[in-house]
Amino acid sequence: MAVLFRQYSLLVAGLLFAAAACAGVRHSVNKDNGLRGWDFTDGDIEIELIQRLPDQTRALFMNHEFSREVIEQLALSCMFQTIIRNTGRSGSGQPVSVDLTQWRLQHAGKTRGILLKEPLLASWSDTDASEAAKLVVRWGMFPTQQEYLPSDYNWGLTAYGIPPGAEFDLEVTWTEGGTPHGATIEGIVCAPDVDKLK
Amino acid sequence: MPVSCLRTFILLLSLLAIPVQAGQQLTPIPGQVPAPDFTLQDTEGRQHRLSDYRGKTVIINFWTTWCPPCREEIPSMNRAYHSLAGDDVVILAINMGEDEDTIFIFTADYPADFPLLLDRSGEVIAQWPVKGLPTTYVIAPDGTIAYRAIGGREWDEAGFLDLIRELKQ
Repeated sequence: MAVLFRQYSLLVAGLLFAAAACAGVRHSVNKDNGLRGWDFTDGDIEIELIQRLPDQTRALFMNHEFSREVIEQLALSCMFQTIIRNTGRSGSGQPVSVDLTQWRLQHAGKTRGILLKEPLLASWSDTDASEAAKLVVRWGMFPTQQEYLPSDYNWGLTAYGIPPGAEFDLEVTWTEGGTPHGATIEGIVCAPDVDKLK
Repeated sequence: MPVSCLRTFILLLSLLAIPVQAGQQLTPIPGQVPAPDFTLQDTEGRQHRLSDYRGKTVIINFWTTWCPPCREEIPSMNRAYHSLAGDDVVILAINMGEDEDTIFIFTADYPADFPLLLDRSGEVIAQWPVKGLPTTYVIAPDGTIAYRAIGGREWDEAGFLDLIRELKQ
């Protein structure tokens, strides 16, 4: 029995070590449109960031009642299509919690928070955005706080408030079963604007 | 994850025989939380009040046409709707902020035979603990929230259909 227990403990340790050792970032390039992606995994969390062209953002928001200034503000804010999920791969069933107010980006020697939808929404007057248009931002941008059980995921826009084509490092934090975790995803690049694509 | 890491991980998991549930899951909601009641009109002009469906299992899905995972799960939800016909299960998909014309055009590509409700102002979704779309709740026949899913699912998976049917028993 003691031998079995020791073997089981070694296997558990090996499993945890393998999970920790395999944490990392995969890079991708969409062969159809050239957009780049960063896919970070660690434990039960997966964070996927996919470049979004300013023109894609313009196209989304031009279909709604935003002023031209607000559409440009959003289009030039370095948006990423973002997916965060609890993969449940450890089998622990623990919740993964994410609070975007704690994320930090490092760009041009400065560290600051990412753009969140709440202050954006609060900054717009009725002429900047109709109530219906504000709903698109409220539900299209990524939830600021969320708890994910296994299989849960969100898909939405995150924005970083730096120019098209800029490079930055992103400090991400989360908790898994209440235990804090953090990592830095290095060398993320905002999609270029249309004039840089030619 | 690199292939070598994945192989190691899978090998160790198989040796341990940890009962990792394959595939997707629904999150059980403990504590008999009552579902917030609402009355909304669907795209056909019919009124739906959640409390009128007491005694049936109700799947409430919050969605929009411009949300990619919302679009992805509509076909499986439609198949689930047909699979659950005769099981006293109702599906109500509550659209956030869009009008009938937008939804009508959408359903040409994504047919949905269950009611599509209109929450134009967002008043109803504000009463529910929804933070992102899609989010889906399964309401037990007694009016309490039984399960939650954040993000899309393949709703016609046999395990899901069994869970939903079991709520009636």
